[in-house]
Amino acid sequence: MSDHDDLSPGCPFSGLNRRRFLQGLGAAGIGAAATALSGGALASQQPRTADVTDAPSSSATHQSHPFYGVQQQGITTPRPAVGMLASFDVLATDQAGLERLLRTLTERIAFLTQGGTYEQRDPRYPPVDSGILGPSIDPDGLTITLSVGASLFDDRFGLDAVKPRHLQRMVAFSNDALDADRCHGDISLQFCANTEGTTIHALRDIIKNTPGMLMLRWKQEGTVPVMAPRSDGSTESARNYLGFRDGTANPPADNSGLMQKVVWVDHSNQEPEWARNGSYQAVRIIRNFVERWDRTPLQEQEAIFGRRRDSGAPMHGGIEHDLPVYDNDPDGKVTPLDSHIRLANPRTRGSERNLILRRPFNYSNGVEANGQLDMGLLFIAYQADLEAGFITVQKRLDGEPLEEYIKPVGGGYFFTLPGVQAGDYLGSSMLAASQRHS
Amino acid sequence: MSNLRTVITAAAFGLVAMQAQATVAPQDLVNPITDYKLYVLDNLEQFSSHTREFTDAIKAGDLQRAQQLYAPTRVYYERIEPIAELFADLDASIDARDDDYEHGVQDPTFTGFHRLEYGLFHEHSTAGLGDYAERLMSDVETLEQSVQDLTFPPEKVVGGAAALMEEVAATKVSGEEDRYSHTDLWDFQGNLDGSKKIFELVKPLAAQEDPAFVARIEENFTAIEHTLAHYYLIEGDASSGYASYDKVSERDRRALVGPVTVLAEELSTLRGLLGLN
Repeated sequence: MSDHDDLSPGCPFSGLNRRRFLQGLGAAGIGAAATALSGGALASQQPRTADVTDAPSSSATHQSHPFYGVQQQGITTPRPAVGMLASFDVLATDQAGLERLLRTLTERIAFLTQGGTYEQRDPRYPPVDSGILGPSIDPDGLTITLSVGASLFDDRFGLDAVKPRHLQRMVAFSNDALDADRCHGDISLQFCANTEGTTIHALRDIIKNTPGMLMLRWKQEGTVPVMAPRSDGSTESARNYLGFRDGTANPPADNSGLMQKVVWVDHSNQEPEWARNGSYQAVRIIRNFVERWDRTPLQEQEAIFGRRRDSGAPMHGGIEHDLPVYDNDPDGKVTPLDSHIRLANPRTRGSERNLILRRPFNYSNGVEANGQLDMGLLFIAYQADLEAGFITVQKRLDGEPLEEYIKPVGGGYFFTLPGVQAGDYLGSSMLAASQRHS
Repeated sequence: MSNLRTVITAAAFGLVAMQAQATVAPQDLVNPITDYKLYVLDNLEQFSSHTREFTDAIKAGDLQRAQQLYAPTRVYYERIEPIAELFADLDASIDARDDDYEHGVQDPTFTGFHRLEYGLFHEHSTAGLGDYAERLMSDVETLEQSVQDLTFPPEKVVGGAAALMEEVAATKVSGEEDRYSHTDLWDFQGNLDGSKKIFELVKPLAAQEDPAFVARIEENFTAIEHTLAHYYLIEGDASSGYASYDKVSERDRRALVGPVTVLAEELSTLRGLLGLN
């Protein structure tokens, strides 16, 4: 908008046009430009239409989520269109080095998620920033969520006594074909933003600022299909790459009492005191065999998921957000007993203990050797109790008919650290607790 | 003069004052660059004579000797890569890897050390390698001649310290460089030697600007050498050569990646620190 501010009213072309015009005359110099302007030679020029290479515009680049708080962002925060999970090995060899790393990460995340301007450096030096978003960055809805893997609690950092109770190295389930290069890690960073430029910029900033401290182990990027707002204000869940809505049964993130039960560690979880307001993060890279899926009859697809594909409604009808009812269907004649949603959440007494908060993204990586698409789901879920949550749910899903069409190949379990207040750093309560134990 | 100019230019652009106080004058670099050229020429001379032995062994069909000479010969080249790479065609014909070619080892234009490595360590034979050996020897002689006539650009020399660590970070820590012979640690040491040599030559100048920077560089060089020493063929003897890269433990790989990345990052500021354009 500021492009227009320096023009007197009634000027026949926009500031952007004038700037371009002047740039175009760079060799001729300002004198020639002034002559041209005074001559009114361009007064009849049409307003410029968009150039092919103009940056696409978005009104959401200023959107930001507060970084400081009791809990970290990026968990109950509404999921934006772009996500990335990056897993790292920590190269620091002692707790002092780990603390330096956590302080650096906290400082970078605080900056990146709020936006700002980078320091200019003598051009004989490498610039401090990649520059891919320009010298000033907008937050663009960015959240970066820091979690730690079980391996961080080995003998390197003196943290073994304060490990969260359920934190463990992910073990393959029966249908998994885990690729060691895409599993586990000392630290995970979940990046979520409105656009991919923002998540990639943030990752590169963090890598640039942590030499010798972190080594990238694997990363997986993903997206969520964007939908137009509906006139009645209602919302629907996004679809996965199998064409089905994903997350319909997610517990509502704006219900803080429910989130306290489902997502956040509190006094009831018998976890170390420092872990309160943290959460368990389960990550799975689940390849979908989409060509085969697309050759499967719709009624079979729906029986496998236990929902109608187009509406997302339960098998017995209605709309997406109608609750599935199984009481009158004990034999699974309407919703098969081995359908995905019925196994995952049987809605029996006590199964609410196994609720998880899903935050998945669809991924598309390339082409397999057989010419088939390498795409699927970057599954990310949060829960206060990893055993009762993801692990229990996944055990129930073992052997489900959907397995014919999916193959989990990577991921890991992490513990998302509690939030941080200004002046402190992420993980400080964990390090302090370990020092009390030693 | 140049100091004043530096400060004025920096001020004009509103740059960060802390990094724009280079007091190094261009003539301060004359001696380091001269010394570096001597270092390069000395290494090239040795490279040439070792290449002769290596290629003679291949032509004589002595597989075992050729295998033994492969890694020790390359070290001299790896040390002087920032200069060798100024001759892009020669660098490609001497040191390209099979994944630089669309058709890999089958590509008829794939020549040089790594083509020979494929024959010696993958096919375990010197058969059909004679022409590649001849070509390598002649390329190395051309390189030696070309470098003698070369004026060394200071920014290439000083920038070479970081470039060598980029080499290590890109292909040595992953074990991609010598995928058939697994002699990556030799190349690693060669790159490290070359980087350290450049740093040592300009160290007094760098120390005037930023002693803490010098300390950090030295600390990280030492850390790498400490880890590499675990893999000497004879304990405590750097000249004994290196164990196969697949013997390197996961922990030591991490212990190498950290300081290598720090050095690549820190040394990328060396040109700026010395006021080079």
